[in-house]
Amino acid sequence: MNDPKLYILCVEDEMDVLDAILRDLSPFESTFQLEGFSSAQEAGAWIDGLDPDADRIALIYCDHVMPGQRGVDFMSELQRRESVVLKGTCKVLFTGQAGHQETITAINEAGICHYQAKPWEPDELVELTRKLLTDFVIAEAIPPLPYMSQLDQKRIAEHLHENNPFQDA
Amino acid sequence: MTKKHLIAILLGTVGFLLPLVLPLETLSLAGKINLGIFLMAAIFWILEPIPIYATSVLVMLMQIFLLSAESPIAGALGDFQAPAYTLYLNTLANSIIILFLGGFVLAAGAVKYQLDRNLSRIILKPFGTKPGSILMGLMLVTALLSGFMSNTATTAMMMAVILPIAAAAPEGDRFRIALALSIPFAANIGGILTPIGTPPNAIAINALVSRGIDMPFSSWMGYTAPLVISGLAALWFILIRMYPSSQARLPLQLEGKFQTSPKAIALYVIFALTVLLWVTEKLHEIPSGLVAFIPVALFPVFGIIERKEIRSLPWEVLWLMAGGMALGVAMNQTGLAVWLVELVPWAAMSPMMILAAFGVVAILLATFIANTVAATLLIPIMMTLVGSGIGDGFAIQTAALMVAVGASLGMSLPISTPPNAIAISTGLLNSSHMLRVGVVIGLVGYVLLLASAFLIWNLIF
Repeated sequence: MNDPKLYILCVEDEMDVLDAILRDLSPFESTFQLEGFSSAQEAGAWIDGLDPDADRIALIYCDHVMPGQRGVDFMSELQRRESVVLKGTCKVLFTGQAGHQETITAINEAGICHYQAKPWEPDELVELTRKLLTDFVIAEAIPPLPYMSQLDQKRIAEHLHENNPFQDA
Repeated sequence: MTKKHLIAILLGTVGFLLPLVLPLETLSLAGKINLGIFLMAAIFWILEPIPIYATSVLVMLMQIFLLSAESPIAGALGDFQAPAYTLYLNTLANSIIILFLGGFVLAAGAVKYQLDRNLSRIILKPFGTKPGSILMGLMLVTALLSGFMSNTATTAMMMAVILPIAAAAPEGDRFRIALALSIPFAANIGGILTPIGTPPNAIAINALVSRGIDMPFSSWMGYTAPLVISGLAALWFILIRMYPSSQARLPLQLEGKFQTSPKAIALYVIFALTVLLWVTEKLHEIPSGLVAFIPVALFPVFGIIERKEIRSLPWEVLWLMAGGMALGVAMNQTGLAVWLVELVPWAAMSPMMILAAFGVVAILLATFIANTVAATLLIPIMMTLVGSGIGDGFAIQTAALMVAVGASLGMSLPISTPPNAIAISTGLLNSSHMLRVGVVIGLVGYVLLLASAFLIWNLIF
């Protein structure tokens, strides 16, 4: 039973913004796999190539306003896919400008777990990422120790205490 | 399944078949089968191609099918008086397993109503805010709780207490390492304190009980307390010397309140009653396994724990222990234990040397493999050795304690115990810190173990 590889995906059409996200999230790279994409199509195709036995996408940061498929539509499409790789994935929409209808779609159909306004503070993004990754690991009952150093450690310790996922032996 | 696992399974299979093809004339067919099961189990337990509890139940299955009176090959086993298969299965519900079940239920109730957290808060309060005394308080609470709850669950809870302190410490403060090491190590040591503290204790007590030797709960505590207390003191001293704090005061946040719902009150009463009856076993002579059934029955009766908590009890630990005990049963039945003991020219060694050597082996083995497995592999051999007269000069209880306590003292690697694994995963320390302090504690522990054996246990038994 090997520990799954946990991915953080970032989808953003503007290269300098994508670089900024990847740079801000680089502290997580020691423990998580960080991948950047410049379009929804590119990300969608790449996800198809993941190994359902070994890979899990923990978190997707996706821009909303992009040429081609928009963020909300891409997230809705992922929501409909029945891949193990995408089970429980936390989807964050980056947007300064989502309308009323798009917000409804985001919640009802795309399963967006968080809206992140642009621009963001790097520290804020790191803390958000840490919280969402911790949520994911706990909710999906993934053995947390290999990832603990980059998660909210107090919450993980309390989770271990309350749920006894592993024991004296 | 990885290649490594495949190789381990292949090796285990070879281990099982090897005694059957080797010319081992002095060993009966039943003994050979048993040796095969023993080798396979040892290989699986060490290399872990399957979880260790799975190996345990596999051992039981193989013994039922190959070494019982109901076995399809029972007729071919010659002179071997095969026992009923229930002899192996009964280990799943023997008094020691029930004792542990009682401990699990108490712990589940304590976690649910936050009794453990609130107790730790109360105990920590008088230790103030100075780094040295906080560290002492943390270690005492951890050791005490881990004597009654699992070492792993205690470590997880106490890590949640120290993480905010460590996070508030200035960059590069070495006291963080002291904090992060104090919890798992105190939990490992604290597990020695009571029969239910950690599974190796159960393996030892079961081996004694099955030979008609009683080991009351309170007596075990009395025999091990000097070692536990001096071990903790040594650990505290080492940690504050090696990783002193740069601060005069530490922020220790202890908030919370004892719950006062009727169920919580019922939990407190039953918890206190059970522990009280355990530690006073000598006075009333109600066996601890029997007392353990009080919470097992009353918690569900009062709705203190419900289906959800019952389902999440660590049943696999009971399987692990029961399989280990069943292996010990078979080794006695088939004569394998005696045969293994006779392989070594023990007469060349003094009994004291043998005893001391088993302590070393227990500590070393437990450093690399699961403590329960180390105890499971060593105790049947150790017990037989004493029973055969070679070990005249030390009591069978001393032998059992030596191996069980030794199995809790191997803690120098992240893989040594689950509490170690939790501590290292926080990133507060690295494995070289753990190795350094762990080796020192292993050595100190060994000296204390020898002192306990020769100066206390051998004089009592």
